[in-house]
Amino acid sequence: MPPMIDPALFDQLKSKIEEDTSIRKELDQILDDLNQHVSYTQGLLSRIHSTPRSKYATLFSQVEGGINKEIETVGRLSEFASQYPYYKYNHKWNRMVQDAISTVILCAWLGGMSTDSTPGEVGRLLTLEDIGQAFKVPVNLKDRDAFHITIEEYLLGLIAVIDDLSRLAVNSVTLGDNAMAVQISGFIKDLHAGFQVLNLKNDVLRKRVDSIKYAVKKVEDVVYDLSLRNLIPQEGK
Amino acid sequence: MSGLKRDWNGNAKRRDGPKTGLRQVARNAYTPMFESLRDELDEHHDRRERIVKASRDITALSKKIIFSLQRVRKIESQLPANIQAEVDFRLTEIAKLLATLAPEVQGINRYRYARSLMCLEELVEALTFAHYLRTQTLISHADLNPVVEDLTGRGADSVAGPASEDAVMADASDDTGKPTPPAPAMATATATTEPATVSLTQDDYLYGVFDLTGEMMRFATTSTALTGTMAGSGGDGNIQDNEAERPRTIVHDMHELGTFFEMLPVAPGNRFQWGKKLEVTRQSVQKVERLGYDRIIRGSERPKGWIPDLSVGGDPAGGQEDELE
Repeated sequence: MPPMIDPALFDQLKSKIEEDTSIRKELDQILDDLNQHVSYTQGLLSRIHSTPRSKYATLFSQVEGGINKEIETVGRLSEFASQYPYYKYNHKWNRMVQDAISTVILCAWLGGMSTDSTPGEVGRLLTLEDIGQAFKVPVNLKDRDAFHITIEEYLLGLIAVIDDLSRLAVNSVTLGDNAMAVQISGFIKDLHAGFQVLNLKNDVLRKRVDSIKYAVKKVEDVVYDLSLRNLIPQEGK
Repeated sequence: MSGLKRDWNGNAKRRDGPKTGLRQVARNAYTPMFESLRDELDEHHDRRERIVKASRDITALSKKIIFSLQRVRKIESQLPANIQAEVDFRLTEIAKLLATLAPEVQGINRYRYARSLMCLEELVEALTFAHYLRTQTLISHADLNPVVEDLTGRGADSVAGPASEDAVMADASDDTGKPTPPAPAMATATATTEPATVSLTQDDYLYGVFDLTGEMMRFATTSTALTGTMAGSGGDGNIQDNEAERPRTIVHDMHELGTFFEMLPVAPGNRFQWGKKLEVTRQSVQKVERLGYDRIIRGSERPKGWIPDLSVGGDPAGGQEDELE
């Protein structure tokens, strides 16, 4: 009579599990690199809080150097991860890709990331498609199984930018750039209205979206203080 | 009814204000972008909800199959007819549900909704258990996959009714998709060209087999208590002098399964769950071990063919069979 467990079954499962483990190890190495570039870029970007607008250009040339490293590493990740089912491993890089996305969105909004066709200007929001182009990877893939940037990653990255901009509103006033605070206020309020359009489930995205109102409150307080003291720059001045 | 708001005169206020107000958010430059993202997210949430619903039903049906199988008393190549009929009935139901699921979990979506498809673990548990009761062996992942694919195919046929091969899947996805959200064009397209099936991932299989050990432990306990022999192939489970002729009992099978999981490397997906399941398996193995020991020590004192006289409380085995017929 046949044995309880076919020995071939054990060998086959064992090698599959080992393969899975080695895939994860390799992913971890790529993600270590990505983490390094993202942290470095985030650190550079935190200088916006102490840099006057006139000196953004020099800051952004450094930041864009960091972003290029991010893009390069995401490319490596994409190439490797596309060999395997996307949603099997995507939880490993979700967070880091979000952070990378937010550095790019923030830099572009402040006027960096200019290309020949689109000159950088303050207040430019990169869409999900723009982000896909920047990173040279597909977005919101549905018809094939490969690496891509998801809607959730984009939205969560965007919310991180909102938090950072609400902080910048305060610091820009300190640096004497009141117009920046007013512009940030308008942008955050528009995005807040935009997020209200989504039908959210009780998940991480919802939790983060709920936090946007604190950013709105923070910038409104700044604008209130400015208007009270007649410090809001008039249009055309 | 406590949801009424009243003005200062105590008259109930109409509750239409805030709801419609929220819907009509002031439009701005970013509204269209968010609207298109919302539609994409809604599609995903709706699909997940459909999967979760079907999955819950499949889990319940699989559990019922397992309960039926727990009424089996010994390992035989054929399940008792009444139990086989129950299992077949539930499997037909499961097949229909699988057929509705299949178009939703193709390609990239297989792993996207893997966590909503816990039902497959339960189904693996039921199918491997039935296989064990018939053959006293563990069915392999490669052999089990076609079984599930076949089930899905049968489900699609029975939903669509006898129709031409091409129309079958198209009908299936039309009939079974919930009326409101139109089935994504992509899913329908793949469905018409090639019947969509539900495939088992390695984790579905392994965690299903982990649970199988618990069912085998329960089966070993009841069958030993009620028949006085250790379930196994042929023989009466009594000690034989000749080592080679001693029939293989469930104690041995449990040991083999235990060793199997101890020797496998930990699957890296969810180490915590793996550890918990392994611990439960160890306990089950030890319970069956103890049964085997009791059987050898006390079973030899028990007259041959003696069966506990349970006529006072009604013979459970006989009684149950009457109920089922």
